[in-house]
Amino acid sequence: MQAPLDQNTQQGPEQLVGRLRAQLRRQALWDSLLLFAPPLLAAFYIAGYLYRVAWIGPLTFFLLAAICAAAGLLAAALRYRPLAPSAAKAARLVDERAGAADRFLTLATLEAARSSAPLITRLRLEAGEFVKRVDPRRDFPYRIKKSFYTSLTGSFLGALLFYLLLPVADSAFYSAPAPQRLRELAGKLAGRPRLSEIARDLQALAVELEDPRVAREEKQNLVEEMQKKVAEQQKKEEQKEDRDLLGQAASTLKSLERQSGAGQEQQENQAKGGGGIQSSLPQQGQGEGKPSPGGSGDQQGDLSAQLKKEMQQGKTAQGDSKEQGNEKNQQRQGEGKGNQPDPNKPGAEKEKSFAGKSQGGADDRGGRGKTPEEIPQGGPPAERFYRAGEQGREGIKGARYVTVQLPEDAAANAQSDKSGMKNAKGSQVGSKVSASNVPLPAHGPDAPAEKQPMPLEYRGIIR
Amino acid sequence: MEPEKFQDLFRRLETEVGKVIVGHDDVIRKVLIAFFAGGHVLLEGVPGLGKTLLVKSLSRVLGMSFKRIQFTPDLMPSDIVGTQVLAESGGGREFQFKQGPIFAHVVLADEINRATPKTQSAVLEAMEEKQVTVFGESYALESPFMVLATQNPIELEGTYPLPEAQLDRFFFKLLVAPPSPPELHEILKRTTGAVSSEVSKVLSDDGGRQIGEMQQLLRQVLIAPPIEDYVVRLIHATQPDANNGNPVESPVKQYLRFGSSPRGAQSIILGAKGNALADGRVHVSYEDVEKVLYAALRHRIILNFQAEAESVTADQILAEVVKRVARG
Repeated sequence: MQAPLDQNTQQGPEQLVGRLRAQLRRQALWDSLLLFAPPLLAAFYIAGYLYRVAWIGPLTFFLLAAICAAAGLLAAALRYRPLAPSAAKAARLVDERAGAADRFLTLATLEAARSSAPLITRLRLEAGEFVKRVDPRRDFPYRIKKSFYTSLTGSFLGALLFYLLLPVADSAFYSAPAPQRLRELAGKLAGRPRLSEIARDLQALAVELEDPRVAREEKQNLVEEMQKKVAEQQKKEEQKEDRDLLGQAASTLKSLERQSGAGQEQQENQAKGGGGIQSSLPQQGQGEGKPSPGGSGDQQGDLSAQLKKEMQQGKTAQGDSKEQGNEKNQQRQGEGKGNQPDPNKPGAEKEKSFAGKSQGGADDRGGRGKTPEEIPQGGPPAERFYRAGEQGREGIKGARYVTVQLPEDAAANAQSDKSGMKNAKGSQVGSKVSASNVPLPAHGPDAPAEKQPMPLEYRGIIR
Repeated sequence: MEPEKFQDLFRRLETEVGKVIVGHDDVIRKVLIAFFAGGHVLLEGVPGLGKTLLVKSLSRVLGMSFKRIQFTPDLMPSDIVGTQVLAESGGGREFQFKQGPIFAHVVLADEINRATPKTQSAVLEAMEEKQVTVFGESYALESPFMVLATQNPIELEGTYPLPEAQLDRFFFKLLVAPPSPPELHEILKRTTGAVSSEVSKVLSDDGGRQIGEMQQLLRQVLIAPPIEDYVVRLIHATQPDANNGNPVESPVKQYLRFGSSPRGAQSIILGAKGNALADGRVHVSYEDVEKVLYAALRHRIILNFQAEAESVTADQILAEVVKRVARG
């Protein structure tokens, strides 16, 4: 009995090329599908997730899924077209594998009608001898391409990122008022029969939160109670979708609690600080929009009185040594004032208002940055508590003109201190040329004439 | 004619010429290919390398008539193509056409670049038209007709380099290289001994018919369209002015003045077909194309001054072209 011939020997060279081409086309199709399948699945997952958390409705979900599927198929088709091998390419692969010196290529691409028939027959016979050397399944097996693994990894990471970042983005960008958010959540939960009770409670909480007659503490308690309820229900729930919804409710309540806590803290701070301290934190929820008492004009006077009292206490506690230490400067300042009368000196009322302003400014600064507990009680009073013209450690409060001593003068002073030289008045040797921005006195008959030194180069000419 | 017979004859011709020509197997093969493709060959090499002997041997083994023309500056066109002479006939006198040495199957134009352009053009016209015209009368040349021209690349004084248009008419330009030491030993043995090698005629008495059949078979050799497309792309790649998708734009633009003419593509295809038949195949492969590419194109691409200055050769440019043009 004759053994059945091998499949390759039964077919001609053209059939072998055709078989290989079909196989390579299938492989190209698989490559294209595998390349776009992971992103498509990731897109489906994202759409499903959005649908599950009720961000999109069923119609949008189906529309989105259909668009994704169509885009994936289109991309796969576009990818497949250049990958699908031509007859010439398949023939060249057979030639390379069989070492047939382009015999299969010639047979696969030649126009038989315009070529010599005997030569084609001869070529076909020659190529037939090479057919046995090639088995498309054995020599060209399908291997998953690297692009698939890249696509799979990328899609997985994309889906994972989406899963992790969506709640963050939700809380970051979803800025509806808390009661409204609670109502929306309640609406979502109401759709689940097992969560309808929680939904009702959330609705009630939203109403309570919006009610201005309900005290802040009460609201806080309500939120906390609701949080506990939600947490308990969350533990009981087995379905993932329900758990997700409850998780959203819990995070909303938590944010409410934070806001409420912040408002309460701010209130406490205000109470302790007598209205002068105002939180710079953004105030939302219950604490939102409460005006700081420190800002009102009526209470400013009380505050001023309180600050004056503190300042006096501080001054007393400062002791005599401090006063003695400042005496010298005050004396010099007094002398300076006496010697150099300021023609533009403002009147007493102006000075008063200036002091008030200064005090108000100090008040504002304290209100922004520090709590009342931080104001030192026993130490020397801060500079901001001085009135205009009063001498502090750093200088004269509200001074408008200064006289400075040049470095060479300071050196001369030091030398004179060492030698024990003092002038007749008992004060330090003053600077020979004092630098000051004090305006010059009005020109009088006995005022010293201003000397203009003559440049050297002109002296000879004028003489 | 059967392809096997072609291959057998071709091998016998190669072997017979190889008896007197040591080495230069590639040159012999390509000269034979050019002959069966109906082309002419320009042989370039220094004197004494056996160029003239090669041509003589070829004509002998083919059994074809052979004439040699030594080109000199005072050679006139009539010295090549022939002229009208006044001859006595039947009591009267009449002009008779006296054929020149161009009337032979195989013509050796030795040192063709030594003749004036006028004389060169007379030969080159005969090469192209396979006929000559004297005093208004045309005379057909022998068939098969082949011109093998030689030129010396070193003695350039007093020479008239062939114009590009005339160079283009040569099917192949072959470079005859100096022999290697073993080849030189063999040359000495064969030429300085008591016994000298002689070539014998390979083709039968009806050699002209045989050669005609072989030439016909060569043109029937199968060539796949992708390979033909490859040749077209190669030719296109040698064009310095073609900027649309030329894959070897940079070296070609840098060193070439002109690319190959369509005759270059014809030469490649026919040469590749001859090479395939000589190898016993009835179809052209990519290797056939690349084997004959240099011989077919090296005289058809015109180098510019920069290439001359930098001693860049045409073969180097073609190697770059082959490297960069992908097979189909």
